[in-house]
Amino acid sequence: MEKAAAVLDDKKVVAMKRLALVGNPNVGKSVVFNRLTGQYVTVSNYPGTTVDVSRGGGRLGGENYEIVDTPGVNSLIPNSEDERVTRDLLLRENPDVLVQVADAKNLHRALLLTLELAEFRRPMLLVLNMMDEAMSRGLVIDPARLSRRLGIPVLRTVATLGEGLADVKAAVARAAVPSAAVPYPPEIHRSLEALDGAWRTDFSPKRAVSLALLSGDGSALTWAHPGLRPGETEESLWRRADAQRAAFVRPPRLVVFEARDGWVKETLGEAVYRRAGPSGNWASRFGNWCMRPWPGYLIALAALYAVYQFVGVFGAGVAVDFLEGTVFGRYIVPAAQRLADLLLPSTFLRDMVVGPYGIVTMALTYAFALIFPIVTTFFLAFGILEDSGYLPRLSVMMDRLFRLMGLNGRAVLPMVLGLGCDSMATVTTRVLDTAKERLIVTVLLSLSVPCSAQLAVILGMTAGMSPRVFLLWLGVVAGITFVVGWGSARFLPGARSTFVMEIPPLRRPMLRNLLLKIKARLEWYLKEVVPLFVLGTLVLFFLDKFGGLKRLEVLGAPVVQKFLGLPAAATQTFLIGFLRRDYGAAGLYHLQMEGLMNDRQVTVSLVLITLFMPCIAQWLMVVKERGWKMAAVVTAVVTVIALAAAGGLNALLSVAPRLISS
Amino acid sequence: MTEDKKFPIPTAEKEDIEEGLNVVWNMFEKKVRRRAEIQARLTEAVGEKALDLLMREGLLRESGDELVFSPEGERLAKDIIRRHRLAERLLSDVLSMARAELDSNACRLEHIISPEISESICTLLGHPRQCPHGSPIPSGDCCRREEENIRPIVVSLDNMKLGEEGRIAYLLLHDHPELHKLLSLGVIPGAEVRLHQTFPSFVLELGDSQLALEEAVARNIYVRKK
Repeated sequence: MEKAAAVLDDKKVVAMKRLALVGNPNVGKSVVFNRLTGQYVTVSNYPGTTVDVSRGGGRLGGENYEIVDTPGVNSLIPNSEDERVTRDLLLRENPDVLVQVADAKNLHRALLLTLELAEFRRPMLLVLNMMDEAMSRGLVIDPARLSRRLGIPVLRTVATLGEGLADVKAAVARAAVPSAAVPYPPEIHRSLEALDGAWRTDFSPKRAVSLALLSGDGSALTWAHPGLRPGETEESLWRRADAQRAAFVRPPRLVVFEARDGWVKETLGEAVYRRAGPSGNWASRFGNWCMRPWPGYLIALAALYAVYQFVGVFGAGVAVDFLEGTVFGRYIVPAAQRLADLLLPSTFLRDMVVGPYGIVTMALTYAFALIFPIVTTFFLAFGILEDSGYLPRLSVMMDRLFRLMGLNGRAVLPMVLGLGCDSMATVTTRVLDTAKERLIVTVLLSLSVPCSAQLAVILGMTAGMSPRVFLLWLGVVAGITFVVGWGSARFLPGARSTFVMEIPPLRRPMLRNLLLKIKARLEWYLKEVVPLFVLGTLVLFFLDKFGGLKRLEVLGAPVVQKFLGLPAAATQTFLIGFLRRDYGAAGLYHLQMEGLMNDRQVTVSLVLITLFMPCIAQWLMVVKERGWKMAAVVTAVVTVIALAAAGGLNALLSVAPRLISS
Repeated sequence: MTEDKKFPIPTAEKEDIEEGLNVVWNMFEKKVRRRAEIQARLTEAVGEKALDLLMREGLLRESGDELVFSPEGERLAKDIIRRHRLAERLLSDVLSMARAELDSNACRLEHIISPEISESICTLLGHPRQCPHGSPIPSGDCCRREEENIRPIVVSLDNMKLGEEGRIAYLLLHDHPELHKLLSLGVIPGAEVRLHQTFPSFVLELGDSQLALEEAVARNIYVRKK
């Protein structure tokens, strides 16, 4: 996650006006954000890419604004945590301008949200994005009529191409408080009036909060209390709302919804009409194939195979060989050695740079020759999958399997994102509806979903061995994922939510966005990962110099050597594996290259490094998202399962070595 | 049954006629048509003069030593039976009354149910075909209308065929959180849908967007077919 917020200091924020981008999921808010601020936040083609608020600055209509990107919401009465983030932001920060980004193909849903936003009584703009897709479907939208009905400026854009954004910037100055008059039935008006007495008159979102309370959503109260009149408390207001709700025969939320729905339908009738458009193009036909058992599962396998060829064979094979063998092996390392001999007088310092645990020989070689080509190819392959809109279709295919694990198809997204980076994926669990689902996915991410760098090293290590090793590794890891998920589904309290998910259209990934995304991820890699590699190498270097490494190996011997049957040198890889899992994996890779491990040991260590403790970054993220207690439980569970599985596998392979011999 | 009074209070005589027709219908159902047997049963259930009354009103005719309904008698009998058996259904299905008490209570209720109310009850209960004891309930106008129009048209999504189109009629989710999730995603009564696939998940085309959902949710969405 890019943290643009840190760039802005507090004084500036106070002086600047604030603009919030809001809208339904997957309508292009983040693209608009990138265009308005010139900063980059991740953009993908599936709902729920943005789960946290991003901030940046931009000059709009002659004024400086702080621009806030928010997670997509279908309603401001939240169903999940990411929807809460947006509602809370509106109440807490009371933005000066709201810019609603809408999918022009799906105006009905967008306008329902517009009406909810209108209750916050803030100046607004409506941006109809993806106009190209709407037009190709034969939709003709009259922005002037829409603007008249709503009482706010309405603009048309194709944000990915930058079309229409200049108009948006210019229109910010004309933003207006919506004047749309929804004909709510009298009982709603009566209830609103009854609650009105509790609010200060200048508290602009009072109607929005009152409506939320009438709908039975008390979570809005947390941020609304500054708007209460003296003498009123959250409890007294909640009691008032309760009394009002009791007078309704039908749920008030439904009554409000129907009034809005009627207004929206009328508006659409006035402002939108449909020409017969071309239907069933190739992209949509192929998109539909991806969701059917036939040929959907075949497509999933083909996609997996393509990623394997590109990342595992090309990235981890060809590219690594070239960078490690030729670039580092022949040029950089020898040059560094010569330079060190010349410049560094002491053996101690020379070893620190170019020794067996040297910064150049170990940290930089691992980081740039081993991991870098692999993550680059992975990010590229993954970016294509993300931007094409394939992942939500995979959710459809996997829903039934995931239900057995107490989850539903929506959980496919965080799990697949975990293959990129488990720490980021842990944050993405916020898109899930229930606490139980969030916990199960957190455990599985910590336990059995290998991150890109780790996966890449694993692919690299198994590439030269019998295919049985890879299949056995895959079988053990997938089996444990399923058994742990299945068990948690049964023994954890709470319920699974049902699977309802919007499927975005399949799109050709745009090179510009793809490159921006890879650039952002590689920058993150260089900034956060490389320093950790250097740190880890220094730790190993000092431990080695002062004999600590030997002592740790002796200490770990009963487990590492006896129980797991691994060479003593493997101890250090698990030690630094906690710093970065891929660093640990890279260590294993070297042990294998140097011929220090046989096939059984490689297989056992692969399973162990996959299942074992997450890296520090992910662990901190688990603490942040789930709390200390849960993090401790997750750690214990993961450690026990990882050791048991690896030990069991070692015992099995000692008895039946044929399982992995070619 | 042609009173113009708003709340017709049945007279004793009318009640006797209705009760008598009820008895006769039941015997006819059991293929008992002989005058002597019917006379005996009517005397026991309603009164000595019951058969005379029905014959005098021109509701029953003799045919040899058997009895048959006149057209008017048949119409009235069918109506009273329908009200009686609907009343039984109402008492047992909605008010959960014990089976033993059904008949006696239904007997009292049937006389005060107007034709409009019997249609409402019939619709409320989903146009039942049988009373709780398993005897057929004669169908009314509302049942015929339902059969012609509604039944083949409004179906839940899991009963639709692939590629079928329609408009969403209603969602059976009451005040469930699921309901609001669906509404905000555009699954709204009146919205046009096309069923795109049913396995491994249901996929709907909803206006210009596609929505995937699991079967448990699809079962609760009812669509008026085109």
